[in-house]
Amino acid sequence: MISVKNLSHSYGNDRKLAVKNISFEVENGETFGFLGPSGAGKSTTQGILTGLLKLQKGDVSVAGYDISRVHNERFNTIGVSFEQSNVYSKLTAKENLQFYAKLFDVPTRDPMELIHLVGLLGKENDLAGTFSKGMKHRLTFARSMINNPELWFLDEPTTGLDPAIAANIKDIIKEKTTAGTTAFLTTHNMFIADELCDRVAFIIDGEIVLIDTPSSLKLQYGQKLVVITYLKDDQVVKETLKTTDEKDRLRIGEVVNLYEVQTMHTKEATLEEIFIQVTGRGLV
Amino acid sequence: MKLLSSYIKEMKIAARGFYFYIEIGMAVIILAVLLFAVNEFPTSSAKEFIYYDMSKEIKSLMLQEELDDGTLELAEPTQIKMKAALFSVKNKETNETKTYTYDEEIYHLDTYKVFDQKTGKLQKTIIETGSEDDLIRLAWQEKTIGAAVGMNEAGEASTRYYLQGYETARFQNLLYILQNESPATLQAAMDGMTITKLENAELLNTRQSLVPLLVVLMGALMGFFIAIAYIFLDKDEGVIRAYAVTPSTVWKYLLSKLLVIITTVIVSSSIFTIPVMGAQPHYLLFYTLLIVSSFAFSSLGILIATFFDSMSKTFGALYVFLIAMMLPAFSYYVPSFDPLWLRFFPTYPLLQGMKEIMMKSTDVNYVLLFSGVYLAGGIFLFLFANLRFKKTLAV
Repeated sequence: MISVKNLSHSYGNDRKLAVKNISFEVENGETFGFLGPSGAGKSTTQGILTGLLKLQKGDVSVAGYDISRVHNERFNTIGVSFEQSNVYSKLTAKENLQFYAKLFDVPTRDPMELIHLVGLLGKENDLAGTFSKGMKHRLTFARSMINNPELWFLDEPTTGLDPAIAANIKDIIKEKTTAGTTAFLTTHNMFIADELCDRVAFIIDGEIVLIDTPSSLKLQYGQKLVVITYLKDDQVVKETLKTTDEKDRLRIGEVVNLYEVQTMHTKEATLEEIFIQVTGRGLV
Repeated sequence: MKLLSSYIKEMKIAARGFYFYIEIGMAVIILAVLLFAVNEFPTSSAKEFIYYDMSKEIKSLMLQEELDDGTLELAEPTQIKMKAALFSVKNKETNETKTYTYDEEIYHLDTYKVFDQKTGKLQKTIIETGSEDDLIRLAWQEKTIGAAVGMNEAGEASTRYYLQGYETARFQNLLYILQNESPATLQAAMDGMTITKLENAELLNTRQSLVPLLVVLMGALMGFFIAIAYIFLDKDEGVIRAYAVTPSTVWKYLLSKLLVIITTVIVSSSIFTIPVMGAQPHYLLFYTLLIVSSFAFSSLGILIATFFDSMSKTFGALYVFLIAMMLPAFSYYVPSFDPLWLRFFPTYPLLQGMKEIMMKSTDVNYVLLFSGVYLAGGIFLFLFANLRFKKTLAV
């Protein structure tokens, strides 16, 4: 669905590249996570893939179209949910969706159905300008589904939303990707990526450091840990020990035998921890 | 269909925004001012200061004929409070400079009203001074021309003018010719001229003559400004980026904006043009020129908007452009000021074209020629703006 070969991009005339010679492919029906901190090159890559930024160097095909050529009809099969809400504040929620529906050449979804789906029912006739940030974000997200896209670009789809709404958005994404929609998810939220993505790419300073499945990354880089809290001289002590380390295994036995254990549970490495381990950098 | 949807959407947004109502509100205010504050045929308030450097008998002889036929009428004396003054007057012929010093005082001066022989309307007021020094002082204080009318040795009338110093050489020469050439010479010169009289030529009255200028201001220039404002409103909301990832094309998006602006301009210009001008203008030409000129200026506005990332950064360019575009208004009101360079300003032919349309005798070819120029220029600017927009969508 997406093929990127040797893509580079620079914003100025200087030689500093925002994206440096990256290559990857996204298969049909796959949910591909593009993960990295702010300024890593995620939005630049997505901007090029969606046609908002002009391709400077490299070969890129999206939904079967070579993006170095103008093919507006390709957007009939593409949906884009932006990180920053961008709806017409002087139009109602329903009018916003109705207007965008008319711009496509393919059958579109009923605006009211989408409004209901993202939890804005009852607000369909309110001007979008009166909406809260979260409501605008949901409307932007709903709009990205108006043409039933086969390829769905999602830029930070749950950022800034309260947990209940974020869970609702995640469920909608899961439902659509399960039904066969290909998703290109750009985020710095590793929990979302872990939950939704079939494969993830770590990008930092414009370069892809690795591409793999979350489970494979955990197997490769993760360490199984046991976190124990126990009482020692009337003080609560907490220790994190590796189950793969002989010395730590002996220490677990010692703690259990000698002290009164308060809590003990195993812990799996998160994608964020793996990202820090691989890149040496945090995600902020 | 996509263009129509975009146009309907833009009209809804415009109707819910304030730019649309500012334009309409301005048009209503302009109409009210034109109808209630601007007189169609204003009375003349021109004043002339004259000193008759001759005996009372000769002066009476000179004025009696006009007093008898009613074109001149003795009025109440004019009271003028004279300020203390110190100034110099240079004689152009001798290059001598004389300095005058005065204290504060009050003048009571004989006053005559001059009426038009045909219409009987007041043309000007003549205020007669008692001495040539008083004339000079009045000309200096009132910043106007003073004339001392006398008789030369040959018994012919002669006039000395006291000018302010900023009058053009052309004006000074005109006064010189009028006073120094003999009537026979002037008649011979006039006989040698070919004068073509325009049939049915009828000038616009004061109120009507304001309409072309206001149409240019409310149409072309407001369209230019509103185009920029609309683009930056969309940029601020980010909706341009959302539009860019649909199968619709950028030119449809831009054209829908222009159509809204043209609609607004048609409505606002009609609000004051139709009630003031009535059935006199050639309305088909009026709307043709209005539409193509609005299209051209709005396209220019959109093009300029692509070079900036915020409305505030455009203010410098906007200010310079709007001031420059108003310069042809000087030529419109002062026909003697018509330098060649001014004719290259795009508002010049627009003003002249609108004036032609408003008059009973319209130069159709002139209007159509420049309508074509605006249309071609508008298309060029629109295509250029479209290209620039595609490149700057993500900015």
